[in-house]
Amino acid sequence: MPKKKHLLNTAVMTVIMLGIGLPLSFSLSVKLNLLICLLAIFYLIACRVSFKTAIIVLLVAFPLALGSWWSFLVFGTGDRWHTAWIYGTRVYAYLLLGMTVTMTTSVKELLFSLEEHLHLSATFVYGLLAAFNLLGRIKQEYRQIQYSALIRGQVYHLWQPGLYLRIILTALNWSGDLAEAMTSQGFSEGEPRTQMQHDPLPVWQWGLAVILILSYCWAAFIIRPW
Amino acid sequence: MTVLSADQLTFSYDDQKPAVFKKLDFKIENGTFGLLTGPSGCGKSTLFKLLAGLYPQYGGQLLTGKVTLDGQNIAEIVPFARAGKVAMLFQNPSRQFAMRTVQEQLQFALENLQLSPIEIRQRISAALTELKLEKFRSRQLTTLSGGEQQRIALATILAMDSEIILLDEPFANVDPHGRQQLLADLKKLQQTRHKTILIADHDPSGYAGIADRLYHLSVHAEQIERLPLKNLQLAATTNVAVNYQSLNKGSLAWQQLQLAIGPRKLLTGSNFTLPEGQLGLLSGANGTGKSTLFAAICQQHDYQGSITFQQKSAQKFKLKRWADLVGIVFQNSSDQFISLKAASEINLSAKASHHPEYWTQTRIDQAITSLNLKNVLDQVCYQLSGGQQKKLQLLSMLVMAPPVLLLDEPFAGLDAESLAAALALIKQATKALQLSILIISHQRLGVVETMDYELQLSQQQLTLLQKDGEQKDA
Repeated sequence: MPKKKHLLNTAVMTVIMLGIGLPLSFSLSVKLNLLICLLAIFYLIACRVSFKTAIIVLLVAFPLALGSWWSFLVFGTGDRWHTAWIYGTRVYAYLLLGMTVTMTTSVKELLFSLEEHLHLSATFVYGLLAAFNLLGRIKQEYRQIQYSALIRGQVYHLWQPGLYLRIILTALNWSGDLAEAMTSQGFSEGEPRTQMQHDPLPVWQWGLAVILILSYCWAAFIIRPW
Repeated sequence: MTVLSADQLTFSYDDQKPAVFKKLDFKIENGTFGLLTGPSGCGKSTLFKLLAGLYPQYGGQLLTGKVTLDGQNIAEIVPFARAGKVAMLFQNPSRQFAMRTVQEQLQFALENLQLSPIEIRQRISAALTELKLEKFRSRQLTTLSGGEQQRIALATILAMDSEIILLDEPFANVDPHGRQQLLADLKKLQQTRHKTILIADHDPSGYAGIADRLYHLSVHAEQIERLPLKNLQLAATTNVAVNYQSLNKGSLAWQQLQLAIGPRKLLTGSNFTLPEGQLGLLSGANGTGKSTLFAAICQQHDYQGSITFQQKSAQKFKLKRWADLVGIVFQNSSDQFISLKAASEINLSAKASHHPEYWTQTRIDQAITSLNLKNVLDQVCYQLSGGQQKKLQLLSMLVMAPPVLLLDEPFAGLDAESLAAALALIKQATKALQLSILIISHQRLGVVETMDYELQLSQQQLTLLQKDGEQKDA
């Protein structure tokens, strides 16, 4: 997999995503939603993300956007067309905002950046990282759990709680063993650790984040375009 | 010099259960290479976790006494300060890594110790070079075999420069060659770096001339007994050969079977029929693909070629039907259990058994007694010791008695007595019910003489070993 490339620091992008995403839920402007979509698309193009993946993600979301749009058009009150377009475009605004982070950075990079700049706890960072590193094995584990039941004449279906109980038990076992091993390897909660890689974050990027978020709020709640 | 000692330890996992030890005293002598033996379930792992300061933080309670590191209660020392003094290598190789690659893993441990970036780089290179693991540096940990993972774990401990290294059944999933290599590495660390080493191992073979202290812990022991070293000589018996038999006919066969993990080929063009009523040993070094072959036979791993049961291709069976014919004892015990309690695990098998006429309640009870599982029946499967879990897995699958049964490291962590009992049960069931059983076991001592044939997997070839050293491609 080629290394993902981002232009702005990951922590800053996360702050922008959350800082705009939250007021987005209260804004009633189709034009602003579209503007966000447009800006996010420009950013994604500038970061040269995989065109194919982006299109697939956008297509998958289409039924959701259409569903929102349709239901507000049919069951809405007041200016139904306006409401329908707000909710229809909002799905894409959320999605594209999220994509500016998820498609330009890896889980590891994101967690390390949040740890360094936003002081996310190391326990949380390494716990999540370990969980993501185990993801590949979960699939294998799932097949094994199914087979282990079959050889004893039992069938686990996707809707059976027994299956999930097994997966949870296995995960608990794994996490217990892993926590012990990490402690034995010197991992100490709340203690400082060496920072091998630094994740550069020029101050102007924080400035950019603040300007973007404030101007969005100003536009959404003071100017209030259509 | 670091002094690690246990004084008057009484430890219990829970109020309802009896204490694992009572007022146990133990002191690790500096610079020694100690071997701790004892039957499965006697508390070797528990003792090690107490010595490493992991218990009672991660479970159980100390009723009396304490473990001290240089006179200080080990529970009160922060992990990063502790890790430079005492570190542990665990029974389950794959579950001791938080990171994705070898390099990241070593770096993670050294960052915990708050070393400077320059020193971290130096230590990673030095540790990997010293254990000849340089070529694994950027490999993903999940793609390594059990033995390779243990060597990486040792490299991590070496890089942390811990003075005392505790190893809890480190060879449970490691082949003889890998075991010898790890033991030689450890001996070297003791001699050149003056490390103190303590290994818990149910199998005392191969330690003569390496271990200089021999300890024994018996069930619910008050004290750890120190045994004379000459007991190690006795354990080093001559290599016993497989009791080769001519092969019977069988139902499960494979033709032109090819296996690979990603780009790495494991097996090319193999043909074989698993004989009925006979026990086979599947041997081969770490990472050659023995477990992958089992996974393929169970339709859990992709393969090329065909696997058939009574000339009918596996792909034509529904998975449910196939699983009914081909059973497996998984390498990781926790993958096996489908009930919470040990007793219901066995009852479930008794109800669904292919041969209820053979597995009568009397016979099952006898088997439980011979495997020494009687007093753990009301316990939760996942809380049993490593060896007890293995025995429970084995018994529940033997009672199921499918026509084909694959056993992946069923003897890991078993003491000599349990091993003999387990083998006797397997042998009897195989003969009486004409089962086809194939076993992966790194432990050969006490095992091979019960086998009827041996398949060796090496360099992508599966070979049937013959009596007079001849070989035949399988």
